[in-house]
Amino acid sequence: MFHWLEQRPFFFAVVLFLTVAFAGVIEALPDFAKASQPVVGTKPYTTLQLAGRQVYIKENCLSCHSQLIRPFKSETDRYGMYSLSGEYAYDRPFLWGSKRTGPDLMRIGNYRTTDWHENHMMDPSSVVPGTVMPSYAHQFTNTADLATAYANANTQKEVFGVPYDQDGMPKLGTWAEAEAAALEEAKTVVADMKNQQVKDAVAGGSVPEIVAMIAYLNSLK
Amino acid sequence: MNSMFKGGIILIIALMAATYFMAGDAFSLGEDYINDLTMLGAFAIIAITVFVALKYINQIKNDTASGELVEDNWDGIGEYTNDIPVGWGVIFIGTIVWMFWYMFVGYPTNQFSQVGQYNEEVNEYNVKFQSQWDNPTADTLKAMGESVFGVQCAPCHGVDAEGIAGKAQDLTQRISKEQVLTVIQNGQEGLGYAMGAMPAGMASGADAEAIATWVVGGMKGEKPASFVACASCHGEDGKGMNGMSPNLAEYDVVLMAKVIENGKKSSIGEMPSFKGRINETQTKALSAFLNSIKAGE
Repeated sequence: MFHWLEQRPFFFAVVLFLTVAFAGVIEALPDFAKASQPVVGTKPYTTLQLAGRQVYIKENCLSCHSQLIRPFKSETDRYGMYSLSGEYAYDRPFLWGSKRTGPDLMRIGNYRTTDWHENHMMDPSSVVPGTVMPSYAHQFTNTADLATAYANANTQKEVFGVPYDQDGMPKLGTWAEAEAAALEEAKTVVADMKNQQVKDAVAGGSVPEIVAMIAYLNSLK
Repeated sequence: MNSMFKGGIILIIALMAATYFMAGDAFSLGEDYINDLTMLGAFAIIAITVFVALKYINQIKNDTASGELVEDNWDGIGEYTNDIPVGWGVIFIGTIVWMFWYMFVGYPTNQFSQVGQYNEEVNEYNVKFQSQWDNPTADTLKAMGESVFGVQCAPCHGVDAEGIAGKAQDLTQRISKEQVLTVIQNGQEGLGYAMGAMPAGMASGADAEAIATWVVGGMKGEKPASFVACASCHGEDGKGMNGMSPNLAEYDVVLMAKVIENGKKSSIGEMPSFKGRINETQTKALSAFLNSIKAGE
């Protein structure tokens, strides 16, 4: 075999590549497969949270905010427990980010609340003096795209096997059910909000982007 | 051979002389024999290097190859079927043995873990924190409280603790008149105090008004008769009967600990729980700091 190979540089290179690649895969895969199992308690996003996540992506929040807490005391003091890879099991795509102009948001839901976000998104400098974050007032009037969020969730369920509709996991159901559930969830969010325009919109059956956004931010724990 | 041998001797002497010329002052035969040993070592290296080099140059010049050739040749370059040199064989086997050692014992992950390093860092810090702040003085607590406040509380309560124009509790005062009235009217969910949640409608109208004025006024002057309704839980002096219910006079350590652990939902908005983010000493420190910045004092 070797005698045959050493006379044929091309096949020699191919076999060399396969050998090295095989060794690499053997080293990397088992740990990777183990680490990417969902951490106990990790749940897929609800339709409303996913709609907020779409807004997060659309506004390109990740160019200033990371969602990855490194295991250093200086980080865990400020942002909470360091991140585990299994916590991102249902993030498609993940939003780790690599730049922190603003703070990390991996566990923002643990230490900020709906009313703070409402003030902050409307006028960031009203609660954080000197901040460079721009206002996102348009989210109070734009309507969140629940239909796309539902399609997103449904695709994740059908194609990637994300465990919606299972015991202890968020219910997705049909579009009509999901829309109704999202509206219910939006009502619990606006109950803690003060903006009358947003409250009226939700009461009238449409969900402003800010409500989806806050639902998403509150879910980051 | 003979001329090469002579050349080698001359080269060795020349190199030794050059070495001695460059670093001879170290070769003192004094008390410190380390330098002498080093110099002798240098001479030995020179001699060995020259002799080994000569041996191989001689071999290249004079040796003729012998042995049986393998069948193949590559563009006229053949290969003998000689055994490999013993040294190579030993190193080859040794490498395989080393591989198993490295794979199962020596691989660095067995010694290093990022999370392990993190845990060590945290433990080290906690031990240091414990020993350093074992018996903090009032001033130390106040200073610590101010710095903890700046990091953990200021994002919502503002750097001046005044609640950023009504967006959060104004911590320079214990409670406002509107808050007392709202709580009397609507009740308040418990914070985990032994006395439990406060029911709605404990007083109303002018009574509530009188209670609110007296409480906000720092509970000075004549106590309104209607405060009886409050005193059963909050105590005659409104200080919460030693931690049985919330202290209405100041941010005492019990109140701080309860709010930090449970968070709080009120007419202003919701405060999240800071459980695990602020430790016991820091809670005391925050309490000391808040009591030191009371408005009007």
